[in-house]
Amino acid sequence: MSVLRRFLRTPEAIAGAIILAALFAMALSASLFFPGDPQAIAGPALLPPFQDWGLPLGTDRLGRDVLAELFHGSRTSLAVGLAAAAAALVIGAIVGTLAGFAGGLVDEVLMRITDAFQTVPSFLLALAFVSVVGPSLGVVVVAIALGAWTGPARVARAEVLSIRERDYVAGARVIGMHPLEIAFREVLPNALPPVLALSSVIVAAAILTEAALSFLGLGDPNRVTWGGMIAEGRTVLRTAPFLSVIPGVALVLTVLGVYLAGEGVVETTAVRRSLS
Amino acid sequence: MSSPLLAVSGLAKGYHRGGKAIAAVDNVSFAIGPGETLALAGPSGSGKSTIARLVLRLVEPDAGRIAFEGDDFLALNGAALRARRARLQMVFQDPLAAFNPRATVARVLNDPLRIHGIASRAERPRRIVALLERVGLSPNLASRAIHEISGGQRQRVAIARAIATKPSLIVLDEAVSALDVSVRGDILKLLLDLQTKERIAYLFISHDLGVVRAIAHRVVILDAGRITESGDARAVINAPQSAIGRELVAATPKLHRTTAP
Repeated sequence: MSVLRRFLRTPEAIAGAIILAALFAMALSASLFFPGDPQAIAGPALLPPFQDWGLPLGTDRLGRDVLAELFHGSRTSLAVGLAAAAAALVIGAIVGTLAGFAGGLVDEVLMRITDAFQTVPSFLLALAFVSVVGPSLGVVVVAIALGAWTGPARVARAEVLSIRERDYVAGARVIGMHPLEIAFREVLPNALPPVLALSSVIVAAAILTEAALSFLGLGDPNRVTWGGMIAEGRTVLRTAPFLSVIPGVALVLTVLGVYLAGEGVVETTAVRRSLS
Repeated sequence: MSSPLLAVSGLAKGYHRGGKAIAAVDNVSFAIGPGETLALAGPSGSGKSTIARLVLRLVEPDAGRIAFEGDDFLALNGAALRARRARLQMVFQDPLAAFNPRATVARVLNDPLRIHGIASRAERPRRIVALLERVGLSPNLASRAIHEISGGQRQRVAIARAIATKPSLIVLDEAVSALDVSVRGDILKLLLDLQTKERIAYLFISHDLGVVRAIAHRVVILDAGRITESGDARAVINAPQSAIGRELVAATPKLHRTTAP
């Protein structure tokens, strides 16, 4: 496929794709390689990495297998990152399209609400939301999406404002199409590319926010998370720094992979747009 | 004309630019009978396209009345307006900009049939084929994307979309201006054929008096938003009375030499 070939033309995109592929492979194979509970005790406590090949990355303070935790933690990071970004993009695209297409009072009201959300720091918003509603995976997703939808909403609105004056929108009105159908079927799909270009940034930010929430003990307590692992390792940072460093490096690589792959996608679509 | 199809009177629309009020359309009145072609001609900026958009209710006028098929067209709103739009269609100047860039030919023609409940879902593919054949296109084009077909074919699709709802009036806003000269003649022939067979009236907007003479019964010449001259198309073009009319005629290329070889 030529689109795939164009995507893989830049080294950044290849690196991003490899990291993301490895991450997905980790998430999908977690219960295959580590079928038991990753939070179960697997050996002696604080075993350093590369000592026992049954436990390649060693164990934490309670004797849990770090590699198993890392694999299962990738599931949480990916699930929360993707779900929160998807929710933020959907909410943002709908709000932005309605505001841009309707104009007038609807536009004013929706954009002032967007302003209100944008002035509150998104991490504070997530923190407050989770501490009020209680930590669970769904709540964390909603909390992160709540702080992330304003960017897509603004981009979508700006795009819709320019598309709404095009002839084909007038043409849709002339054939008697309902305004809501025009907004969501004729305008929104054409406003999406610049909105989707934000997705890599949002996914990366969502993964970091989730890790930060878990680090503060506001993640889902029934799931292993990388943020939670870093928090656990913090207490023994001097004697066993690997407990914090390993999930930290995993987090950095993941965010980097999402960014690079996202850049690659943007490049690919940019070329496609200029060609057509 | 006893009962005009479209009667426009005292139409006005102004815009504000930099604190100054600019009258785009100023006290314009005209009428079109069933099956008649009225041309609106004038230099760019004379308000032709604004009138088209006002007549179609794409822009709301500041003042004036529009009666369409005997009813007050400006009084219609919401669902009633959308339903009446079936009778009043438009063809745009740029045949590429007039369609959603993601659309296929079939989807473009399917929309009006679906929205106005003209054909059932099962019947629509047959109607789309019939519409394509009516405008002289191959039914094989139905599955093609809009950007894959040529400009002339696109304008035929635009005409097919306009006639899908069986309108009594089509506004043609510079509908042949962006086309190749060779394609232009074919499209004009198609428009004339549709008019004689289906008795569709046209509001034909153009700056090209050569084309106007070929298709219009009557012509209205506009300048700076006002009507300067109107009458029988041939009579006006052969002997324009207003200065702007003479200018437009002079700007039309002649097909005879003025110098000896």
